[in-house]
Amino acid sequence: MSARSPSLGRRAAQGAFLVFCWAATGVALMALAAILWSLFRQGIAGLNLDVFTKSTPAPGSQGGLLNAILGSLMMCAVAMAGATTVGVLAGTWLSEFAKQSLYGKVVRFVNDVLLSAPSILVGLFIYELLVRPAGGFSGFAGSAALALLAIPVIVRTTEDVLRLQPTALREASIALGAPVWRTILTVIWKSAQGGMLTGALLAFARISGETAPLLFTALNNQFLSLDLTKPTANLPVVIFQFALSAYDDWRRLAWAGAMLIAVAVLAVTIIARLATREPKRS
Amino acid sequence: MTLQTTFEAPETRILAIPSDQAAIQARDLDFYYGGKQALFGITVGFKRRAVTALIGPSGCGKSTLLRTLNRMYSLYPGQKAEGQVLLEGEDVLARGADLAALRARVGMVFQKPTPFPMSIHDNVAYGVRLYEKLSKADMAGRVEESLRRAALWDEVKDKLKDSGLGLSGGQQQRLCVARAIAVKPEVLLLDEPASALDPISTAKLEETIRELKSDYTVVIVTHNMGQAARLSEHTGFMYLGHMVEFGETDQVFTAPSTQRARDYITGRFG
Repeated sequence: MSARSPSLGRRAAQGAFLVFCWAATGVALMALAAILWSLFRQGIAGLNLDVFTKSTPAPGSQGGLLNAILGSLMMCAVAMAGATTVGVLAGTWLSEFAKQSLYGKVVRFVNDVLLSAPSILVGLFIYELLVRPAGGFSGFAGSAALALLAIPVIVRTTEDVLRLQPTALREASIALGAPVWRTILTVIWKSAQGGMLTGALLAFARISGETAPLLFTALNNQFLSLDLTKPTANLPVVIFQFALSAYDDWRRLAWAGAMLIAVAVLAVTIIARLATREPKRS
Repeated sequence: MTLQTTFEAPETRILAIPSDQAAIQARDLDFYYGGKQALFGITVGFKRRAVTALIGPSGCGKSTLLRTLNRMYSLYPGQKAEGQVLLEGEDVLARGADLAALRARVGMVFQKPTPFPMSIHDNVAYGVRLYEKLSKADMAGRVEESLRRAALWDEVKDKLKDSGLGLSGGQQQRLCVARAIAVKPEVLLLDEPASALDPISTAKLEETIRELKSDYTVVIVTHNMGQAARLSEHTGFMYLGHMVEFGETDQVFTAPSTQRARDYITGRFG
């Protein structure tokens, strides 16, 4: 066979396709860059030590976001602890035990519906389920709403990454005489941990900015409070209220808060990536 | 080509291995994937401390037979075996057989290397920890012994704490052999263990297998007839779920007594 250069038409098509791909990528990245640019420009302007040391101010006085930061951290932590436990176990059940059974298919379908449920509906649901019977807003209700949003994401990603694990890996462990539960815990989960963690992070990223479900559940709190049985301040609701306000210093705090959420999600993602890097081949 | 595609009342010739010489044997073994029968009345013995090769075209039931011997198929509802598989006289197909204990006695290595996502040391120790509580020093000794027998020790002795996933394909496969023999099984089932390896790694693995037969009963499925001829004492030729010919390897390869085996071995089909 002689080496022949492709025809002009083929090279033109190849070039056009490449240009199109580059352009599409450029448009997407530009939108992202524009968002990050305005976020950081305004966010950094609003940032000072007070943000981390003082609670949300009354109009006209100085203040920060300490109560909202702590409230968000606590609610997200509680929500992720619950959602990861339930989500990983449910995803494992779907992948390893339910497989193509009818019950498994129904659960998978319901989970997919939940995955795209509007978050405000989840907020209303928790409001009816927890807030009204308990007689008041609370941080725990907020956590429950956030967990309900995180669970379907974790279930779905867990099932997907577990199903990607080779059958031979499962059989290799079973062939040594290991019981199924031990095979899942020590071999399959370990092998899939990077993907499972990515799923949990996706869920975290999703709930860390959720506002609507918190309006009906945790509401807000002007003061510093570590009690999750009471209404609890949180960044998204504070951002929502402050950004729409007429006060310049409130709006600055809203930008600072928005930037903090973005930075937190980015930091957690990077740390987790580093922690679960695949071993390099020698 | 005048190749028959239907296969009825096959002409067979099976060398019987005396029961007292066989570590594991199948008797009138039928196997079904759901409604589809994959093995038909297999009766065959695998001689203790010898290598037996199973050859035959793809889909003839070699791997299925192997997976029946350690009851790997029991993982999958819908797959079932009928007849008997006797491991030192005990029927492993019997209801209530202890599968974990069976699999400790009958080890298996798969077509593709399957290192676990843990250190080289822990890969080898994984199976041992299921059955024995060894001190750290004893475990280190067991790991070294197993890696030596799998001819991998010299290549990994300085990096036992490194991930098993970092090894080359050939090294990974020998790691899997080490992992299987660390449990001290009686029978070792090898399902095309060299099919994903380059020639040099294959040669090393064959050397390992040759070493193993002094202590283990080895059953190897292979598509490489040279490999079967080099390694095994007995060879079984399977076709469409039947054991067509089983005998001394020399005889099966130089003077096959069934037409079907003759055609396959001389390369007329397969």
